[in-house]
Amino acid sequence: MKHTLKNVFHSPRFLVGFIIFMTILLTVLIYPYFVQRDPLQGLGKGFLSPGTYVSVYDTNNAGTYRVELPEANDNRLEASVPVKDRQTMLDYLTAMGADVSGLDTSNENFHALLEAWNANYDEADAKKNKYDGFATQAKRNELRRLNNRLTSDVTAAMSVTKGEGEAATVASVATSDYVKVSEVANSISLPLGTDNFGRDTLTELVKATGISLLVGLIAGSIATLLGLLVGLLAGYVGGIVDDILMFIANIFTVIPGFVLLILIYSALGAESRGITTCAVIIGITSWVWTARSVRSQVISLRNRDHVNLSKLSGHSLFRIVTTDILPYIMSYVVMAFILQVSSGILAEAQLSMLGLGPNPNELPTLGLMMNWAKLFGAYTSSNAWWAYFPVILVIALISFSLNLMNTGLDQVFNPTLRD
Amino acid sequence: MTKGMRKYFKKKIFWFVITFIAAVILNFILPRLMPGDPVNSIVGKNISPGATQEQVQEQIIYYKHQFGLDKSIFGQFWDFVKNAFNGTFGVSYSQYPRLVSDIIGSSIWWTVALQLPAIIVGWLLGNLLGAVAAYKRGIWDKGLMPVSLFFSAIPAFGASVILLVVFAVTLGWAPVNGAYDPGMIPGFNLKFIGSVISHYQLPFWSIVLISIGGQAVGMRSMSIYELNADYVKYSRFLGIKDKKIVRYVFRNAMLPQVTGLAMSIGSMVGGALVAETIFSYPGLGMSMYAAINSSDYPVISACTLIITIMVLIASFLLDIIYAFIDPRVKAAQFD
Amino acid sequence: MAKKMLEVNQLTTKYITRQGEDVYSVDHVSLDIEEGKSLGIAGESGCGKSTLALSLMGYYFAPLHYTSGTIKVDGKDITGLDPDVVRKTVLGTDVAYIPQAAMNALNPTRKVGKFIEDVIFAHELPMDKKQIREMAEQRFAKLGLPVDALDKHSVELSGGMRQRVVIAVSTILNPKVLIADEPSSALDVTSQKMVIKMMKDMMAEGMVKSMIFITHELPLLYNVTDDIMVMYAGQIVERGSAKEMVFDPIHPYSRGLMRSILVPEEGTRDVKLPARRPT
Repeated sequence: MKHTLKNVFHSPRFLVGFIIFMTILLTVLIYPYFVQRDPLQGLGKGFLSPGTYVSVYDTNNAGTYRVELPEANDNRLEASVPVKDRQTMLDYLTAMGADVSGLDTSNENFHALLEAWNANYDEADAKKNKYDGFATQAKRNELRRLNNRLTSDVTAAMSVTKGEGEAATVASVATSDYVKVSEVANSISLPLGTDNFGRDTLTELVKATGISLLVGLIAGSIATLLGLLVGLLAGYVGGIVDDILMFIANIFTVIPGFVLLILIYSALGAESRGITTCAVIIGITSWVWTARSVRSQVISLRNRDHVNLSKLSGHSLFRIVTTDILPYIMSYVVMAFILQVSSGILAEAQLSMLGLGPNPNELPTLGLMMNWAKLFGAYTSSNAWWAYFPVILVIALISFSLNLMNTGLDQVFNPTLRD
Repeated sequence: MTKGMRKYFKKKIFWFVITFIAAVILNFILPRLMPGDPVNSIVGKNISPGATQEQVQEQIIYYKHQFGLDKSIFGQFWDFVKNAFNGTFGVSYSQYPRLVSDIIGSSIWWTVALQLPAIIVGWLLGNLLGAVAAYKRGIWDKGLMPVSLFFSAIPAFGASVILLVVFAVTLGWAPVNGAYDPGMIPGFNLKFIGSVISHYQLPFWSIVLISIGGQAVGMRSMSIYELNADYVKYSRFLGIKDKKIVRYVFRNAMLPQVTGLAMSIGSMVGGALVAETIFSYPGLGMSMYAAINSSDYPVISACTLIITIMVLIASFLLDIIYAFIDPRVKAAQFD
Repeated sequence: MAKKMLEVNQLTTKYITRQGEDVYSVDHVSLDIEEGKSLGIAGESGCGKSTLALSLMGYYFAPLHYTSGTIKVDGKDITGLDPDVVRKTVLGTDVAYIPQAAMNALNPTRKVGKFIEDVIFAHELPMDKKQIREMAEQRFAKLGLPVDALDKHSVELSGGMRQRVVIAVSTILNPKVLIADEPSSALDVTSQKMVIKMMKDMMAEGMVKSMIFITHELPLLYNVTDDIMVMYAGQIVERGSAKEMVFDPIHPYSRGLMRSILVPEEGTRDVKLPARRPT
């Protein structure tokens, strides 16, 4: 046993897979001690992109500092009039036939561009003459908005609203003023932004990973145990028991398990689909492959000498199975278990993508997160990569690590496959 | 036809029929085990707010009669089987009184047209990749194998989402959703066909990707097993060129992959259905998705029944074809 | 003095294991066979006799590697030739091989006749498919094999038949040296006899000019080959005529080997084999 373990951990594939898996597992376990936020608590409205958010209001109470940042003006320019807008300006000037020689979108020449724009842009003119490329109403509106932005004061004073909606200037802000983020009373770091409900994606993802792992674990354990039990019974007892069990197994191998899951899940209804229920159902629909393999191995073991000897010695069925048969198929069972965990996690995710996930009001799962991302257009209209890409990555990493462990074990237990 | 052959086919047909019956029964029973009465929710949706208790009861009885839910369980089963065989699959709950066949009629063909070629192409590409991986072992095993293992660990829907975001949303090379431009009227003209083809690309390639992974892994180990077979060494020592031997090996490794396909086609279809919903492709996956979200059980069970039957037929045919093309099975099964 | 068909001089080959160690399985082996003669090689399993068979072909692939020595077939040195030249001009024509597990030696999805075509085409001989077919049919008829076996896959043939078909295929190009590695060990007694008879016939008919017969069953060698060699730990221990070697071996290892096999009772294998290689 010790020797086997040593061998297993000498396999580089297993080791890499094990380390990845343990890292994920430890993160899931330790993270809640550092961030005690409720994973389903809404922090904002809609998708916030990753970053650190500081309260604008509270910056007024933080001290201001003068920081000499050489590229500050360039940054500011880029933030207020991005290159895209400058290109639009240039395009418009070109389209209306103004002299654009010497003008480009670079920071150095921005002032020349702005001057040219101020000299040439006329809202009424733009409306009247439908210049090439700016003929639609939408395009003209865009020009108008751009013009408004360009003509308003870039260095606006910061103001707060007092009492009954009166605006009162409390301090003027110079271009070289900065606040220290740690001094702002309210700030929050969202490394992965928020999802459509405004929930902190990272916290939600960690919780969801934990739940999905749990689903995989429950489903995998049930599937493996059932498979092992059925396989042992069918293989060792044989006869009519074998016939009946294999008859059932045959039916379940041909009917796609996924279809079966869809039927059961939709029959259950969203409210009664708890995490455990979901996991248990996945488990009891995916035992067939394990049962078949265990059965064929048990049949080949059944007539081995050591088993016959045990039978002749009058050992009980239980003892024969546990001491003479189980140890020989244990390595297979462990590998099957690992694969079952991985496919259990996947099954949950797939079902959730179809809207058949566990009750979404209780806990997040990786599949539910994917489904929300889909429902709220994270990858189309909102372009919120942080809401789905980390989820895909985590699922991929989990199954990658489990697959690696599995091939590692395979190499150790079936040395003939090494080539 | 030899006696062994006949026995083999009899066995295969027997199992086909049995699983077929089991599939029909499961499709009938499982939705009926659900908690909650679908009729109540329909009545709740349709009835005017001021209706009396009696009117509600009347409506419930009316709908129960319409859906045949007032009959005994055997009567209901008979209706179910009858509807399945005449192809109507009963009445939809959510879009009453539309027939289920009306709702999913066209989506079957979109699904077949999408998934069948995609799975075949994925199977061929997967086998090719697996074979190359087995043959060029050195760098593959050390460098590329972990990478390909990682990529094969990306779930089907994940790959679809990434394809969608990269090629449709970001690069704009392909349309984001649907099977053709929404403004178009389906017809047999170039413009429409062009639109269908451009909408076809992303769902097609993502299903291909889904099918490649598993097939490549299977083909790789199969090829490695065959490369170590005695006939390889023997053929070499008779002076046969390596190129020819490689052809032997891959043919021999690929034939069992036909059964591999028959066995994995069920799970592939599952992934492909999810891919359909990501691209909003108007196939069975999408119909099922819509039905699930409106708790339309007749539509759900019609979809699952059709999928099961398609998978059953596909794997049955593959089994039969395999028995004919592989002399090893012919020898083992037919006598 | 008859012509030497095979002359091997100080041949050494090694296996490179996964751990990168060198294992010399054939260690400075020298032997020769005259035309029309046969040589038996005996030894316990693991003594290197199968590796010797592979090494004699002049065609090496991992994990077996050529180290030193020469192999001459009918006066032509085949060591150090380009592998493709060896493949085309040596294998099958100069040296032919019957593998240990001949039962599985045929590609299960290729018909026997098609496989013979592949062999002939690989040597770029001036024959078309019809000629090859005729030639194969004649050869099969001559060797007492059913001609319709040419249209069958190997899986459709019985074990003994498969073995004989493999022998017929291996010798289709009338090799100068035939190396048979335990060609009859896995067969029942009847099939074994048929195989032995077939090989003797081939020698007599001149389809094969000389033969090396490798086995662990010594009584077999006594009936089949002219000379017998005993191998131990990759080296030749002793060589003599079949009669001498069976009834009066000189080397203590040969003696042990002969006695352990000729005396059928259990527990008589009392000869202490030296732990080190005898010198």
